[in-house]
Amino acid sequence: MKSRKFFLAIFSLFLLSSVSLFGCSSSNTSENKSSGEQVTLDIFQFKVEFKDQFEKVAKQYEKQHPSVKINITTVGGGEDYGAALKSKFASGDEPAIFNVGGPQDVQDWLGKLADLSDTKAASLALDGTLDGVKRDGQILGLPYNQEGYGLIYNKEIFKKAGIDASNIKSFADLEQAVKKLNDEKKSLGIDAVFAFPAKETWVTGLHLSNAFLAPEFDSNVVNAFNAKTVNFEYGNAMKKLIDLQNKYSVQPTVSLDYSQQVEELFSTGRVAMIQQGNWVYNSIADIDPELAEEKIGILPIPIEGFKEDSIPVGIPMYWAVNKNKDEKVVEEAKKFLDWLYTSNEGKDIVLNDFKFIPAYKEYDSSKIADPLSREIYNYAQQGKTIGWVFMGYPTGWGMDKLGVNIQKYISGKMTWDELITASKKDWEEARSK
Amino acid sequence: MKKQTLWYWLFLSPVLIALISVVVIPFMFGLYYSFTDWNGIQSTKFVGFEHYMEIFKDKEFISSLWFTVKFSIVSVILINFFGLSLALIVTQNIKTSKILRTVFFMPNLIGGLILGFIWQFIFIKVFASIGDLLNIESLRGWLSTPETGFWGLAIVMSWQMAGYIMVIYIAYLENIPQELLEAAAIDGANSFQRFRYITFPLVAPAFTVSLFLTLSNSFKLYDQNLSLTGGGPYNSTQMLAMEIFKTAFSENQMAYAQSKAVIFFIIVAVISLTQVYFNKKREVEM
Repeated sequence: MKSRKFFLAIFSLFLLSSVSLFGCSSSNTSENKSSGEQVTLDIFQFKVEFKDQFEKVAKQYEKQHPSVKINITTVGGGEDYGAALKSKFASGDEPAIFNVGGPQDVQDWLGKLADLSDTKAASLALDGTLDGVKRDGQILGLPYNQEGYGLIYNKEIFKKAGIDASNIKSFADLEQAVKKLNDEKKSLGIDAVFAFPAKETWVTGLHLSNAFLAPEFDSNVVNAFNAKTVNFEYGNAMKKLIDLQNKYSVQPTVSLDYSQQVEELFSTGRVAMIQQGNWVYNSIADIDPELAEEKIGILPIPIEGFKEDSIPVGIPMYWAVNKNKDEKVVEEAKKFLDWLYTSNEGKDIVLNDFKFIPAYKEYDSSKIADPLSREIYNYAQQGKTIGWVFMGYPTGWGMDKLGVNIQKYISGKMTWDELITASKKDWEEARSK
Repeated sequence: MKKQTLWYWLFLSPVLIALISVVVIPFMFGLYYSFTDWNGIQSTKFVGFEHYMEIFKDKEFISSLWFTVKFSIVSVILINFFGLSLALIVTQNIKTSKILRTVFFMPNLIGGLILGFIWQFIFIKVFASIGDLLNIESLRGWLSTPETGFWGLAIVMSWQMAGYIMVIYIAYLENIPQELLEAAAIDGANSFQRFRYITFPLVAPAFTVSLFLTLSNSFKLYDQNLSLTGGGPYNSTQMLAMEIFKTAFSENQMAYAQSKAVIFFIIVAVISLTQVYFNKKREVEM
């Protein structure tokens, strides 16, 4: 009896100690093996959509450069990349290449970012794409790709209604076309002209507002980031576009979400126009490949009194190189990024495997995989673009303040003037913190 | 005696250590952070009660607190009403009672997020098509106004929780001695009187448990809220947990959100404990 008790005690003690020691098993596996000229590039990136292709490319690069080993970690999609990156750095296992989003990120990570102005990729980056990552004459990031959005329309429906999209050059033209579509909605077989997803506050609070706020910040995200106030100089033009989209949309708009807008309504031809970007191509192609390939086009977002023929185009994310790494590692990291964006092989991958809209010169636009991206790249080359300034909004302002206020305005709980006053105040409060 | 206490602590220690390391210590850390300007990476200074003073001026927080209170009251009533009714149905001598129990319990097995998306479809699509068919205006545009969002949440919550609470009531109902009910019946009590004066007082302990569970669950609701309405329209159906999450992760004010969470904890604890205290007093000992 006694021995049994003793055994039990030993057993529970053992269990206890194993539990308490479990957390202490440290991992020292991240040591850099720099022996034998072998260089390891740890890449910590966020774009889940092209993870497989990117890993394939890394293999290809390793084969050509036997002295380089590439480890890719992808955290993104639903996960919080920013938080994951912070903990990655905190653990001491710092990646060589990682991503930064815009001025706020550059500010936060300033002590880690290597100057990339001597890379070939930086010299070939399209005008304006580097604004967000320039600091004191240094270039601290290289653009991933370009993305653009506007009013995506169904060419077939436009043709049936007898509207020539190339004649839509101003807000007035657009309004006229919308009214015409609305009048003929029965014979065209559509539910409404637009699908306006006011539930998705990023569509209204970030994208839509961006077009109308960009002029007052000179289309430069850094100006927006430094601005203490916001004026809504083109507020009336913005109101007109919101009213137009909302009035002629499938109702109720405040509960209309992204998948309803793109997949359920636009891809099936139940609406003629949606305000979205080139990223919807894959969703549309999944449902109706023919529609995606041949029958969609993109119209500019008309800003009355400013530019009425331009598309907001911007850089969603930048590559950054960690300057605290070994000099050799930094050098190899730059070489890899140069290879990816400027070598012929790399260009081919960027266009065909990644299906990116390139943010660099010397690309053959006819090779861009999908029609929306092609059109956006052409707009970009003609200089008919408006910058993305929403990355410079105060944190959370665009979606949680402006986007929510737009919902209130649409539901009639707030007048337009109240919306402007409240949103201005929120901006100033956020900046004074 | 002394030996016994040693064994007592020894066997308790695994649980105690686990509890301390994953609940108590993080809670203390959280409490500490709420007094600093912590931003998720580092905290540079001690700000004292600054965040706590700010909370009471925060309109968003107050309105979501108010919404949560309203929601909790309504869903506690609905869940317990339906839970008890279902329990009374399945404890009658009907043939299908075993199957019915399973069926009623089933919604509880579906995860909150998925449930939210399923009901979103029902509210937006199914309700709208029924509304179109029968020309009932009130069935159109669900979840696009604060009122429909509120009732949508209440319906989903009671649909899910009623089956769970039913199980608790069943346990107590089946423990009621049949002699008491029979004796009352012989004495001429009708079925309502039997329910009111015998069944009801004897399931009182079940009320304590059920009220506690439903109250704290409705107060802390997050996943159904996220998937069903996402707080929309215009944050009018945003409950406390979601408001705190947004403050922390989309506005990046970690310390401020932490202090909101502390207030949240105090509210939930106070309400739940007073409720348990008063219900305990009412319980009848057999």
